Amino acid sequence: MKIIHVTLAGLGLAALMALPATAQKQAPAPRVADGQPNLEGIWTNATITPLERPPELAGKAFFTEAEAVAYEKQMAERNDVDRRPASVQTDVALGYNAAWWDRGTRVVKTRRTSLVIDPPDGHIPALTPDGERRAAARAADIRLHAADGPENRSLGERCILWPTAGPPMMPGPYNSNYQILQIPGYVVIFIEMIHEARMIPLDGRPHLPSSVRQWMGDPRGHWDGNTLVVDTTNFTDKTRFHGASENLHLVERFTRTDADTILYEFKVEDPATFTKPWTAQMTLSKTGGPLYEYACHEGNYSLVGILSGARAEEKDRQK
Amino acid sequence: MATLALSLPAAGQATAARGPRTADGKPNLNGIWQVLTTANWDLEGHAAAAGPMIPLGAIGAMPPGQGVVEGETIPYKPEALATKKTNFTNRLKLDPEVKCYLPGVPRATYMPFPFQIVQTPQYILMSYEYANAARTIYMKDPGPAPIDSWMGQSVGHWEGDTLVVDVTGLNDQTWFDRAGDFHSDALHVVERYTLRGPDTLMYEATIDDKNVFTKPWKISMPIYRRLEKNVQLMEFKCVEFVEELMYGQYRKKP
Amino acid sequence: MKRYSIVLGIAAACLGAPLVQGQARVKAAAYVVPRTADGQPDLQGIWNNATITPLERPADLSGKAFFTPAEAAAYEKEWLQQNNRDRRAGEGAADVAGAYNQAWFDRGTKVVPTLRTSLIIDPADGKIPYSAEGLKRLAAAAEYSRMHPADGPEDLALTDRCLSWGTAGPPMLPGPYNDNYQIFQTPGYVAIVVEMIHDVRIIPLDGRPHLPANVRQWMGDPRGHWEGNTLVVETTNFTGKSHFRGATQNMRLVERFTRTDANTLTYDFTVKDPATFTKPWSASVPMTKAAGPIYEYACHEGNYALPDVLAGARAQEKKAAGGARK
Repeated sequence: MKIIHVTLAGLGLAALMALPATAQKQAPAPRVADGQPNLEGIWTNATITPLERPPELAGKAFFTEAEAVAYEKQMAERNDVDRRPASVQTDVALGYNAAWWDRGTRVVKTRRTSLVIDPPDGHIPALTPDGERRAAARAADIRLHAADGPENRSLGERCILWPTAGPPMMPGPYNSNYQILQIPGYVVIFIEMIHEARMIPLDGRPHLPSSVRQWMGDPRGHWDGNTLVVDTTNFTDKTRFHGASENLHLVERFTRTDADTILYEFKVEDPATFTKPWTAQMTLSKTGGPLYEYACHEGNYSLVGILSGARAEEKDRQK
Repeated sequence: MATLALSLPAAGQATAARGPRTADGKPNLNGIWQVLTTANWDLEGHAAAAGPMIPLGAIGAMPPGQGVVEGETIPYKPEALATKKTNFTNRLKLDPEVKCYLPGVPRATYMPFPFQIVQTPQYILMSYEYANAARTIYMKDPGPAPIDSWMGQSVGHWEGDTLVVDVTGLNDQTWFDRAGDFHSDALHVVERYTLRGPDTLMYEATIDDKNVFTKPWKISMPIYRRLEKNVQLMEFKCVEFVEELMYGQYRKKP
Repeated sequence: MKRYSIVLGIAAACLGAPLVQGQARVKAAAYVVPRTADGQPDLQGIWNNATITPLERPADLSGKAFFTPAEAAAYEKEWLQQNNRDRRAGEGAADVAGAYNQAWFDRGTKVVPTLRTSLIIDPADGKIPYSAEGLKRLAAAAEYSRMHPADGPEDLALTDRCLSWGTAGPPMLPGPYNDNYQIFQTPGYVAIVVEMIHDVRIIPLDGRPHLPANVRQWMGDPRGHWEGNTLVVETTNFTGKSHFRGATQNMRLVERFTRTDANTLTYDFTVKDPATFTKPWSASVPMTKAAGPIYEYACHEGNYALPDVLAGARAQEKKAAGGARK
């Protein structure tokens, strides 16, 4: 059962990258008790800005204010259009309109036309031959073994990991909500999907041994001026962010630019998969919350349905 | 870089607290203690993993752990490492814990069960809840162990405020953990117990076995005092629980 | 594999003090018991309770509460001869079964120093006062054992299953060998290491309540306190499988330990179980300082006998079934 979380959006200020702002109404304390810059709060990264720059916007790195508004209107209409295609199956599959999603309604506050900022063309760099090979093998596997067993379904369908929740944190279909808490020595990011807490130690301790791999990797943080830098390694080979291998090295940067905005940037480095590192950036916006409990596995009827449905189809075909 | 006020205590600081003392002036280790690591699952660092018994689901799954081995990996000789891997593959059949056999030293220390230290000047008794395993530490060396045994022979002495226990006479039947880490009967273990405050014991064990490892290696972990009111060891007489497993095939069919 | 524990010298304790009927206290003569650092009478050490005196008075000694010294010596001689003689019974299995002589056991060689003809001191007839219901249950259990000697592990004796050494108790009675115990004392606790089968009874002295009634343990749940120089241990919460001499799980046991000289621990116990006995009964089993050490009795780890007994029973059944078909 999917829970739709309604974001309290409507913070219309498009702030460009800037140093911490000073005068705000009800300004939060710039620092928390132990002196760390204050990132606390409930944040959402829902946005209609795509990861990669759409072809029709090639060469255009930023929207103007007017263009952004127009784009937002266009996307809102497109996502809510009543699509009535031919077959019943496709009709049901496309029956989801914006009532079912909560992808956000705004472009990122920076008004960039893509989340990818490097390479400058707004596209993820080419894959290495090995990366290509793995991607192709994976695609073939999905085609040939769509539902042999639970391992053939996506991590989200299996309720193991919500792929957009990361790390890195990407805008998702709904519930793109995060709560950041800070205590001496730690920054904690509590992720609504699927009730995960990333505990980021700041004390400079080494990463876990390389023999230990984790779905969400192993994060280590430090402050660089007012920017929290989080270095994450030790991913498993099943996490596969955009096809990455287990050697993915992810560096995230969090900078609070005003009371209601965190500039969030992440750099993906995986020479086994991508011909060069790439960086994406988005804004996190303050939101009202609360975070709900997303008890995915406890209500996972669909996985059972998909697998038993596949078995039923096979039986039918044999007749 | 901003300076942060870290309020975490420095890890690994084994300050021997001038704490409670016994009548003969030694650090008082009396009480009921238990370890909180996953060392009994695997001494080395490990991610969580599915268990060997599907019907047990998450209950039988292996929890993750950061490992207790100094230097991260156990220095096996190459042929011994191969044996460890086979042990792991066949652990349901081979792990002596499955059959409720005596755990040996140091495994008895970090089983997920409490144990009680009964400290007198001449003997220190360690009574383990698991399988009522027990060993008596002789504070006066009685000479070489007369025979090999599962729990070995323990001889102790004080080095300042640290109890040092020298364990010999161990047979080759025990494992170090559920991951197949093993030894020969040349095993020699030296343990160190140091109080760090009244409710925490810092524990180290150096493991030496020339037949299996390229050099001695060390594990370390804290042991915590069980503080519940009226806490006591209870019986975990698991021999009864493994009868069906071990002898069920000989049961008369109805 | 059995381990031998050497009993060194059963010391002659002070025998002069008369025993008060029905009571367990022994009057210590001039002996002043040493104290542990926290002031408890010091019971520590390795103790052995082997003796050839039986728990219950033998039928042919009925009415006779005590031996004379000459009678005791004769009894000891006769007992040793009987148990060490070369018995050549019929064929195969019986012969093997009877082949155990004293080399295999370590039951001691002496009667108790008081020269009583039974370990039981109360009732006066030296016999366990079973109730009709208790006898009925015992008979039913014996009958069941006859009918199902080895269907599965549960049919075998607790000792054969290496679950619990019947004579080690509690209460502690002399057994076939290794009747060794080591006592440790620290502030607030007395701990008894029982060689058979590496059990440790840890007895708290702080007056805490027993475990809840729904928690039952093979060796029960002990609580101790000092009465003068006597350690009194009350044990409850037995399981329904502990069956000391046929008792139910509601058995209540009181043990009393008094050090009467450097080498002697007087050990008395009283058993109460109205479902099995018409009244509480008591026994006295002296314990003597022993040199030790306590060995590791890794019973279960070396338990080849149990699977062999079961497999043998299955083989016999198969053979019998095959024979019946002919």
